[in-house]
Amino acid sequence: MIRFQHTEIGYHRPLFTIEDLHLQTGKVYALLGLNGSGKSTLLKTLAAQIPALSGSLTINEYTTEQLVKDGRLRSQQIAFVSSRFEGVEHLKVWNYIALGRIPYTSLFGKLSAKDQQLVNVAIERLGLTHLTQKLTMELSDGERQMVSLARAFVQETPVLLLDEPASFLDFLNRENLLIALIEWVSEAQRCVLLSSHDIDLCIEHQLPLLVLADTKLQEVQGLSKRAVMALLSQKS
Amino acid sequence: MNRKGILFLVLALVLLLSCFLHLQLTEVSVTNEAQANTLWWEFRWPRLISALIAGAGLSLSGLLMQNLFRNPMAGPYVLGINSGASLATALLMLGGFSLMTNTLGLVGSSLLGAFLAAAFMFFVSWRVQQTTSLLLVGLMFASFTGSIESVLQSWAAPEQVKQFFLWNMGSLQQLSAQQVPWLLTLFGAALMWSLLLVKALNAFVLGQDQAFQLGIRTQNVRFSMLAITALLAGSVTAFCGPIAFVGLAIPNLGRQLLRTQDHLQLILFCLLFGALFLLACDILSLYLEPYFSLPINVLTSLIGAPYIAYLVLRRS
Repeated sequence: MIRFQHTEIGYHRPLFTIEDLHLQTGKVYALLGLNGSGKSTLLKTLAAQIPALSGSLTINEYTTEQLVKDGRLRSQQIAFVSSRFEGVEHLKVWNYIALGRIPYTSLFGKLSAKDQQLVNVAIERLGLTHLTQKLTMELSDGERQMVSLARAFVQETPVLLLDEPASFLDFLNRENLLIALIEWVSEAQRCVLLSSHDIDLCIEHQLPLLVLADTKLQEVQGLSKRAVMALLSQKS
Repeated sequence: MNRKGILFLVLALVLLLSCFLHLQLTEVSVTNEAQANTLWWEFRWPRLISALIAGAGLSLSGLLMQNLFRNPMAGPYVLGINSGASLATALLMLGGFSLMTNTLGLVGSSLLGAFLAAAFMFFVSWRVQQTTSLLLVGLMFASFTGSIESVLQSWAAPEQVKQFFLWNMGSLQQLSAQQVPWLLTLFGAALMWSLLLVKALNAFVLGQDQAFQLGIRTQNVRFSMLAITALLAGSVTAFCGPIAFVGLAIPNLGRQLLRTQDHLQLILFCLLFGALFLLACDILSLYLEPYFSLPINVLTSLIGAPYIAYLVLRRS
């Protein structure tokens, strides 16, 4: 689904290079890295906010240059959930989730019957039915993050990126979020990548780990927490 | 029909009735047809159009500013967009460019001033994130342009100063018959342009990063919003002078009444209610005219300022 080949990642100047890496469908990848290691820059590149500096990076066969330029294409391929959604005044949960259909609606953003149904399906599968008429400002952090996830789900993209989605959540909400994501990738040709600092949770759910340290990104799985921490803190 | 449909229908009807009332109040008994005709084209019709377009235009530009800055306290007046237009007009009227004080020169300089001020404030908003700082910069900018205008006034000839002073009071009676098509065209263009942006406006509510992720061409949209705001606030300011608080208050009222962030609804509300509000202010001043004359700016501030203060207090 996501393929790196000699890909130079960075904002104006290169931070690190990914030699050869292929992220497959049906998996939830966890991106681990210390503060300042370049996690956010990598996520921004994958979200097509900035292009890869050199080498090749394709997402579902599309290059990042294509995705940076073509808004409709980008929005139908990649969805993004940030670490915190603050809520918007006068915006109801249902309408917030429906904004995820923007890539598919016509000029004035009118929702078709199919759009509405997709919103309702996402609400039901994440158990948010009791929140639909609430205002986004009234929600708790946990509720807001699940609602953001629903918005990303209705965007119906093969790739879903999450920037430290669990940092403001308690353990129960973290668990729920991760379970929802694992279910989501198992259903169709999808790929999820989330950045995290919660090594325990990632290991417990046996997520494939992408460890970003010392300007290298390596995929590992089945390591102990101690081994992962050693990898994270290594320096050349 | 749902609750909102009825609200819009009622608004449209009240607006229509107010137009008739306004026309009735501006009627003067004259002896012959030709005089009546002149009065209609030179005085009554332009004044009605002024009120409608200024109200609708300023409200719409306020809505766009609040969306772009993601700040309900933004508006063409507090952010100094009017001041930019005002300064440019002052340079034109007082700076001795008397050759250019025709409609084209007036509109052109006002639009340019509004656009430069909008761009400047947008640049500032990149650097200062806090609302209070941003509004303070807007205030300082307004104060600064005011001082430059004073300096210009001290140099200029008395006749030019008087002309500028009258313009600066804000009035719905300055629009001449020849200028009506100008105002209508500029407003129409800005309205069409903003209707094309409805989806982007809805997405911008989530912040520009998320809007980008939803496929919006954020750079184009940002520029469009600045340009539309300048078109609206600039043209209204050129023909009616600076009018305060309408652009700030009406969009807030819209969100409060409609409880929505759907910008198609909000644009419709700003058009109808903005036009109605300024028309009502003008009707009031027409009623009071026999006793004392109130500049339109005084009326909008009398009603707008307390409402904004209430909003600020409610939010904190």
